[in-house]
Amino acid sequence: MPALIVLMMLIAYPVTYTGILSVTNQQEEFVGLQNFRDVLRPRVTTQALWNTLWWVFGSIFFQVIFGVAAAILLNQKFRGRAVVRSIALIPWVVPGIVAATTWAWMFHTEFGIINYMLTGAGVLEEPIGWLITGNTVLPAMIAINVWKLFPFVAIMVLAGLQSIPQELFEAAKVDGASYWEEVRHIMLPQIRPVVTAVTLLLVIWALNAITIIYAITSGGPANKTLITPIQIFRLAFESSAFNQSAALAVMFFGIVMLIVFIYIKSLATESSEKS
Amino acid sequence: MYKVHRSSFRPVSSSLKLTGKLGLSVLMSLASITFVHAGEVVWWAPNWGEKRAEELAKKFMVANPGIKIKMEVTVSNGLPARVLTALRSGNAPDLMEVQHGWVNEYAQGDFVLPLDDTIQEKADYNKGVLQVITWKEKLWAIPYRIETHGVIYNKDHFREAGLDPEKPPKTWDELQAAAKALTKAGRSGFGITGGGEMGNTIFRSLPFVWMNGGDLLNADMTKAVINSPASVKAIEFYTNFYKQGYAPKSTLENDGLALRRLFVAGALSAYQSGQFDVPAILKENPKLNVGTMMIPAPAGKQTAAIIGGWSYVIPKAAKNPTEAKKFLQFLNTAENQAFYTDTFPARASASKFPRFNDPILKPFAEMLPHGRTAPIHPDWVKMTQFYFDGIQRILLGDQTVQKSMDQANADIQALLK
Repeated sequence: MPALIVLMMLIAYPVTYTGILSVTNQQEEFVGLQNFRDVLRPRVTTQALWNTLWWVFGSIFFQVIFGVAAAILLNQKFRGRAVVRSIALIPWVVPGIVAATTWAWMFHTEFGIINYMLTGAGVLEEPIGWLITGNTVLPAMIAINVWKLFPFVAIMVLAGLQSIPQELFEAAKVDGASYWEEVRHIMLPQIRPVVTAVTLLLVIWALNAITIIYAITSGGPANKTLITPIQIFRLAFESSAFNQSAALAVMFFGIVMLIVFIYIKSLATESSEKS
Repeated sequence: MYKVHRSSFRPVSSSLKLTGKLGLSVLMSLASITFVHAGEVVWWAPNWGEKRAEELAKKFMVANPGIKIKMEVTVSNGLPARVLTALRSGNAPDLMEVQHGWVNEYAQGDFVLPLDDTIQEKADYNKGVLQVITWKEKLWAIPYRIETHGVIYNKDHFREAGLDPEKPPKTWDELQAAAKALTKAGRSGFGITGGGEMGNTIFRSLPFVWMNGGDLLNADMTKAVINSPASVKAIEFYTNFYKQGYAPKSTLENDGLALRRLFVAGALSAYQSGQFDVPAILKENPKLNVGTMMIPAPAGKQTAAIIGGWSYVIPKAAKNPTEAKKFLQFLNTAENQAFYTDTFPARASASKFPRFNDPILKPFAEMLPHGRTAPIHPDWVKMTQFYFDGIQRILLGDQTVQKSMDQANADIQALLK
């Protein structure tokens, strides 16, 4: 019971308080939906929402593809497999802020190693401003996020692969299946539940991920990498517009709940179809 | 230093309302540890002036045996929050040092005492700063330290480019021509900021707008005017340094600190900054031949800069305000201001002291009368964010200067309602 009270205070209080903030003004008077209107009006809000969608789907698409591919490769028997498996985990283990700062320097136009290597090898004539060119900055952020989290997907999928009964592979061998047929008809169907569960986690993480982008660009240049969570943070702690920030947070919470709901629902129908 | 600058743009009131509420009880219990005796003045002094502050306190106590000065050293990180929490909780010291830009909010919140009866020789003080700390025709602080940006340049680069380092540019045209001449051999002629904390870019670009007769808001703050011809021309001037290739390629990633690094590395020949950058540069690269100049203005017009710095306030909750006022008068004699400030003193007579005679400081001193302050508006941070986004759109090549500022103007106007 005391634990429940503490839990209530830690969860219910902030949620309720955000709700109250979103419908009041600085003088703590009730203002209805005014904050919602105020925060939706600037075009930056729409821009941030689009950026968020790109960021989430871009990240997850590549995280899952690279993660599954890495898992299948690491499931092979080869010398030094344990070492490679451990090395593959490094990006996931590195603290987000450390990774972000390191990547920021690697991508830097003048001092960055990426431009240095590409120009040195003759791939590029002129250094590219990765973080300061409109159409490379968000992909660069996504690439960092993919690098950071695909090992997590890999490890989860690897566990899934190892739980596949050996008889399935033996039966396939008897039927004369090639390696790629094994991948397509045994491995991928068998790890599907793992992948769906992991994807849900990735969606939630990507929607809340603020570290990488905030540490590198803070949403800039010209809001090209501004995602909604960063906008919420900015409104509250840079513009001191707590009430509008709360209104945006409430709406974002709604959208996230909707996505999660749809996802779980489709997951449930899927598994009931199977049985 | 950059943190310090940026925070002068930030109204802290509402953010503190939250943390204030939560932290109030904790703070009260903490503050009660400080026992206050009659005749004791508790002084919150920042750590960078600690030694000098101790010396001043000792001197004062010798001359005034009945009053004890108790120093509590503060750090700049998180100071606005700490000050506001102390003011709100009612458990405040007797004397505090705060940035000029914070004072108005304290006055409006009725947290500090008016000091019209304490200031001496008011006419001797920098007028721009007095304006910032005035509210309802009363003075709510006494300023002691003021500073603005100037331009720091590499004299050897000037010589190599065939320019006379002793005759730096005075007008926009001359600055542009110099930047062009200096840009060679992998060097950038004139650095502007377009990234990092937005305060960096506001501090560097808004003065150009002011010089040219433009502004972000009109005088009575009812209309956004950043897309006026005068404003647009100034922003074009600023962003052209990058567009024409005279500023580093990394401009959109650069804040003031990045510019200083490029300058120290010899990759940049000139950039705007405060005088505090000069010792920092010489410490990292003592061989650099550093020169300083005023920020060039359009031909026939006056230069401008944003003025920053520090003031003393006496909280309303001070236990011994009479003694604090007496000590304040002691601190603000021309001599003691000149001794205590890190940059320039707020009093004209104090700036005549020999320590400000260094020729490298002269252009910064000459900038001071041209120092201006940002308007006091509750949505100022949001407005500058729209303005900063607009500058980044120009630098990215997304929009023309006029189009980008039209959009920024509309965004800012929407906040004025």
